[in-house]
Amino acid sequence: MIWTSTRVALCLAVLTTGLAACGPPATRGHLVQTRTDYDPLQPLNRKVFWFNDRLDVYVLAPVAKGWNRVAPDPVQRSLSNFFVNLRSPIVIVNDVLQGKVKNGASDFGRFAVNTTVGVVGFFDYATPLGLEQHVEDFGQTLGWWGLTPGAYFVIPLLGPSSVRDIVGLMADSVTNVSSWFAPWDALAAARVVDTINTRALFLQQVEEAKRASFDYYVFVRDAYLQRRNALVNDRVGGTNIDQEGLYGPEANDELYHPNLDAPPLQP
Amino acid sequence: MIRTIAALATVLMLVAAPLRASAADTPSADTNTPRGVVQATTGAVIEVLANRGFSTDEKRHHVEGIVYARVDFATLSKLVLARFWNELSEAQRTHFMEEFRENLSATYGRNVESYKNQKVTIVDDHAEPRGDWTVRTKIVRNGADDINVDYRLRQIDGTWKIIDIIIENVSLVANFRSQFQEIMSNGGATRLLQVLHDKNARGEPLKAPAAAAAAGAKS
Repeated sequence: MIWTSTRVALCLAVLTTGLAACGPPATRGHLVQTRTDYDPLQPLNRKVFWFNDRLDVYVLAPVAKGWNRVAPDPVQRSLSNFFVNLRSPIVIVNDVLQGKVKNGASDFGRFAVNTTVGVVGFFDYATPLGLEQHVEDFGQTLGWWGLTPGAYFVIPLLGPSSVRDIVGLMADSVTNVSSWFAPWDALAAARVVDTINTRALFLQQVEEAKRASFDYYVFVRDAYLQRRNALVNDRVGGTNIDQEGLYGPEANDELYHPNLDAPPLQP
Repeated sequence: MIRTIAALATVLMLVAAPLRASAADTPSADTNTPRGVVQATTGAVIEVLANRGFSTDEKRHHVEGIVYARVDFATLSKLVLARFWNELSEAQRTHFMEEFRENLSATYGRNVESYKNQKVTIVDDHAEPRGDWTVRTKIVRNGADDINVDYRLRQIDGTWKIIDIIIENVSLVANFRSQFQEIMSNGGATRLLQVLHDKNARGEPLKAPAAAAAAGAKS
């Protein structure tokens, strides 16, 4: 785990005094690690990844296919809405922890509208009202505070993660309000339903991803890390990868823009 | 398999088929600008995909033609291989470009029947360092979340060409680069070309339209 700055310690100190006034640093948990850095546990990760995939192929995907035949699309989406809504408190807490007051207010509004008018979250009436949904969790909060992802980790049953996101998952389980009221077996059952339903929504996607990739493990790892990094930096467009490294000249001189001397065209 | 992975899965599917669900804002587009190129390309692709008169093979053929004209495969190959590009001989580079192109076109080809009236709107476009240009688009789907797809363009020999497609912040170039680097660091260029060749040779036959339509019930 790499604590890039004293910022984290500082923010934690600030937090305990109740002032979550951490401004955004220039780069938040940016993907500055090199390839060998970010997956030191690759041999182990590949084994866990393989195990998860077998479980998916022989258990989860067949069950999800069955569910897909029984449940029409709107039912699946409503169920998905319900579970997303249930997680809203986590989003709101992390909005606040990152000082995103406006987003927090919007997510709180969503939670209120969808829990009441939207019948405990099955219907999404908030989005048409302009209450935008945000994706936040404590892993992202740690990134926002300046923490890099650390080693990539494949968790048995849960899938891709990182040191930072594992800490995030643990913290989020505390703010998961439903776990304060519901008994553990009900929570477990809900989790199973959520997993099957979500998997059913993406049957074709996963199949195609496996077919299109050359190394499915790397494909998933890279997509996960790129996506998490984008979420931390709240990118709404473009790539979050260091652009110099991706499109720039230093990887290879021939990559340099061929029309460097020409002024950029104004479209 | 938490929600993150579900979100990820959508992204993965789209990495495989970014062009299957695009449409232009307007039919006429000025292809001297990056925005115009993206508009013309997505528009032309959508026209083919939505055309019921075409067979699957015809659609595939037409989409391939459009993509070949607008994507610069030489630049794409160099970007994807990055520092490993220098380790390849001239013959290996040509070989790689051909196999990579064939592979991408097979991926798109498999998905031509998955199109279900998705619309594309161009969100904005802006300059990037060293004269590159990014055009941001949004795929609007019925009953599902929008998907952000960005195109990165570079002016090559006076023509704007697509050099990367970024779906929900996941860059295709970066993703392929990771995969190819993994393969090359475990067996060099020979292994990479072998893997590409084998995958293409396996020839994963095109799904029959009926099967594709059934599988495409969700997207």
